[in-house]
Amino acid sequence: MFPQLAQQRDNPCARTMTTQPTSMITPPASLALYVHIPFCQTRCTYCAFNTYTGQNNLILRYMRALERELAFVGPQAEAPVATIYFGGGTPSLVPPDAIRSFIRRAGEIVTLLPDPEITLEANPGTVDESTLRDLRRAGVNRLSIGMQSADAGELRLFARRHDVEDVRRTVALARRAGFANISLDLIYGVPGQSLSTWQHSLRAALAMNPDHLSMYSLGIEDGTPMQRWIERGALAAPNPDRAADMIEWATGYLVAQGFAQYEISNWSRPGRESRHNLHYWRNLPYLGLGAGAHGYAARTRYSTVLLPAEYIARIEAQGAPLAYPLSAAAVESEPIDAQTAMTEHMIMGLRLTGEGVAAADFRARYGRDLWDVFGAELAALLAAGLIERTPDDRVRLTPRGRLLGNHVFAAFV
Amino acid sequence: MEISKIRNFSIIAHIDHGKSTLADRLLQLTGTISERDMQEQVLDAMDLERERGVTIKASAVRMQYAAQDGETYEMNLIDTPGHVDFSYEVSRALQACEGALLVVDSTQGIEAQTLANLYMALEQDLEIIAVVNKTDLPAARPDEIAQEIEDLIGLDAADVLQVSAKTGANVDRILEAIVRKIPPPKGDPDAPARALIFDSHYDAYKGVIAYVRVVDGTITKADTLRLMASRAEILPVEIGIFNPNMQPIDSLSVGEVGYIATGLKTVRECRVGDTVTVAGHGAQKPLPGYKQAKPMVFAGFYPSDNDDYDDLRDALEKLQLNDASLIYEPETSQALNFGFRVGFLGLFHMEIVQERLEREYDLDILATAPSVEYQVVLHDGEVLNIHSPSDLPDPSTISEIREPWMAIEIFTPEDYIGPIMDLVTKKRGEYVSMDYLDSKRVQLKYKIPLAELIVDFYDRLKSGTKGYASLDYHFDSYRPEKLVKLDVLVNKHPVDALAMIVHEDEAYRKGTRLVSKLKRLIPRQLYEVPIQAAVGKTVISRANVKALRKDVLAKCYGGDVTRKKKLLEKQKKGKKRLKMIGNVEVPQEAFMAVLRLDDDG
Ligand SMILES: Nc1nc2c(ncn2[C@@H]2O[C@H](COP(=O)(O)OP(=O)(O)OP(=O)(O)O)[C@@H](O)[C@H]2O)c(=O)[nH]1
Ligand code: SF4
Ligand SMILES: [Mg+2]
Repeated sequence: MFPQLAQQRDNPCARTMTTQPTSMITPPASLALYVHIPFCQTRCTYCAFNTYTGQNNLILRYMRALERELAFVGPQAEAPVATIYFGGGTPSLVPPDAIRSFIRRAGEIVTLLPDPEITLEANPGTVDESTLRDLRRAGVNRLSIGMQSADAGELRLFARRHDVEDVRRTVALARRAGFANISLDLIYGVPGQSLSTWQHSLRAALAMNPDHLSMYSLGIEDGTPMQRWIERGALAAPNPDRAADMIEWATGYLVAQGFAQYEISNWSRPGRESRHNLHYWRNLPYLGLGAGAHGYAARTRYSTVLLPAEYIARIEAQGAPLAYPLSAAAVESEPIDAQTAMTEHMIMGLRLTGEGVAAADFRARYGRDLWDVFGAELAALLAAGLIERTPDDRVRLTPRGRLLGNHVFAAFV
Repeated sequence: MEISKIRNFSIIAHIDHGKSTLADRLLQLTGTISERDMQEQVLDAMDLERERGVTIKASAVRMQYAAQDGETYEMNLIDTPGHVDFSYEVSRALQACEGALLVVDSTQGIEAQTLANLYMALEQDLEIIAVVNKTDLPAARPDEIAQEIEDLIGLDAADVLQVSAKTGANVDRILEAIVRKIPPPKGDPDAPARALIFDSHYDAYKGVIAYVRVVDGTITKADTLRLMASRAEILPVEIGIFNPNMQPIDSLSVGEVGYIATGLKTVRECRVGDTVTVAGHGAQKPLPGYKQAKPMVFAGFYPSDNDDYDDLRDALEKLQLNDASLIYEPETSQALNFGFRVGFLGLFHMEIVQERLEREYDLDILATAPSVEYQVVLHDGEVLNIHSPSDLPDPSTISEIREPWMAIEIFTPEDYIGPIMDLVTKKRGEYVSMDYLDSKRVQLKYKIPLAELIVDFYDRLKSGTKGYASLDYHFDSYRPEKLVKLDVLVNKHPVDALAMIVHEDEAYRKGTRLVSKLKRLIPRQLYEVPIQAAVGKTVISRANVKALRKDVLAKCYGGDVTRKKKLLEKQKKGKKRLKMIGNVEVPQEAFMAVLRLDDDG
């Protein structure tokens, strides 16, 4: 059903071509692989991710199912794989052997580009030095550590299972185990958080000398304990003005510390941007494996069944490959037409605060002129001071627009 | 059916005294509805009625009753609403009947609408059968209430039937009483047909369905019919009866109640109150028809999406068929563009109309705060009727503004006299009289400006009396008052749809409260938005909605772009419910804020 584009796989200059027939979308140079690990020890109070507690006994079967799913889907991949990302959930609960086995199988099934970025999300306190060494040996070369805060009160509010000391120890062990690329996650805009506790958390994070930082402003998700507390009035709602103060302070501080912002919520030292996430934001294809994973390949967005046990059952029962990129775990799939792809390109691309959306890239990808397609929207956003146009004809968020991303993206949907 | 075997009656009562539940039992006893199809308040068929547990529409049903005298009677029952805002439904239903069951809750006694509805029935010369209901409840005082009925209404306490509509106890006696006491219809079976249209609704396939009571003669499906006022001639698509669903039959004869599916697709040709006759040798003189209901409150209805104006007009036309008290005319607002000024019998009516338009016609409506009808006397002597604050002429041309005052009656246990007095005084009301109904209950009479009555008076009365007080009102007179127009400026532009007419002494308090309400209701925009209240050129109050600095982005977790897009779409949809006024997005609630100026929130 979906034409295989294998013969065009190795065309590295495809993305730099500037003239294209309208109907053609340039085949991508590479693919990302997202692997969802839906297991946690306990659930954090703000968390609405697809993850489960008390099901860790399924982990090994689940990992085997992942390899099986990849064996069905991977051989049809339209491009070689540049990055693998184990997200969760808590991927650090998976025994390193199983991670190693998966990565080895991946190398057999798909073409891995040289020097792939392989990230694993780890929760502080779930890994010891030997685990970290084994993960490193298995091929994982980037760790994303869920620090969230250095404030004991906030960590308790989140029902995190660690304190800031656990984070420090995990980072130190990871360095010793050979991880040269470490990211920390922080949350700001938390009810009750003050500018000074935020400053304290960010300083504590920087003191650990990370290569990359993700800073998320707390969103209150439906169905979470935190949402119920706020509804009942037991907890104040997040204050967006205070969150603005926090992120504005962080911006100045991080620049002084030698970090650069490259996405609304992401900062890194030079060259340490997350290649995997850049792939999403550049609207390039990725496969999503596992329960409750999302993928976008062969012009199809899809998602998979949420429950781990159901995922395992479906994959174990699957006998033969299905139409790429779907496996038996897929529950939703939506063809992405050119118009939708362009809309998504804007929503994703404008998150990239540095590179933004380049008119030349847009034309190369969709054969259309950015200003023809979205002229009215862009003009309104320019007038409102939320985006800017660079001399080399890119559009990107202004400092103010970075805080008002929803306003900007909503213009395109 | 032979005319002597027909009985037509309505069930009337104060709200919640058990009319619809009693109708259930009557339908069951006569076998009109099978056990399988039975549900509580089965005649409350509209979703809105079921959700809220109140009757909004009168509904007619035909029953066959085998009486103890060995004869079978055809009974046409009309269940009516109890809420005061729907009394026009009651009055029209009564005109199609010869008798009425007056139901009184035996735990509550006679309430405001018990009397109001009774008087309507008496005006029509109807035979009244009094029924004391809910005798199964421990707090029931059936004998006392029967005595109250004798004392207040003059019906013999011994003739008052004591029933439980819930358990069905004694309900069979009601049917016998109907046979014995309510006279059969009087019409002439041989005269040219005349039928009164007492209600209607629109059906996409059969056109306008007219609900009729045949007063003279017979109507058959084969007749070409004529609507006497509109002069439209029709060949009925179908005629039938309600049982309670529409059931086609061949003819409707003198005294009977049923429907005519007219096939008319244009709504204007078939009006409630018109007389149906046969074409050709039809009747010469139409039936008296109905007095048009007099709306008490007016509000602007605007489509949230300007493109839906035509849909809103169609919807109002069609809804008017099923709600004869509804009136409207086109209106334009600088802030809200094209819409309609709609008149209602009360605030509950307004709420129901808005909900019906939104549900039955899938519209999204923005309603402005309700207003009353003012009389404005100009210096040159001309008198204008003003339904909307924005229509108020330049103050320098005005010699006097008069506002409508109502006479109200409140029935209450005596313990609450104090709080009620306080409430009425706060609302600029005047005391008229107080009478004891029995040793514990009183009837209070006041006069009060309608503008005060429509703003949360009823809710406050209910909450201040633990729900025990009941209220009835009718128009009293127009009185000159010191009234001024309070303008609201959003981002320095006056917003006509937010203007209100207030008493001079209250302008400051109301202006300040309105501004602080609006400040909370108007979402933060990309820039700071000042909100001001002003009388003439004098600004009385001002507040700023601060500019939005930051919004929260969902973490784009594991590449779930679809969810992100959905969230953005939802956000955008939410915005569609906001009205752009100048550059400012104003939510629906802002236009109703005026009604909640006295809330603590
Ligand atoms: N215990 C008891 N409850 C009753 C009886 N009759 C009615 N009710 C209850 O009283 C409430 C109101 O009954 P309805 O039949 O809806 O009253 P209504 O007069 O039709 O109300 P409106 O149409 O809104 O004016 C319902 O909760 C009924 O179940 C009765 O005989 N006994
Ligand atoms: S560790 Fe992460 S995925 Fe697990 S419950 Fe906490 S926030 Fe959710
Ligand atoms: Mg009822």
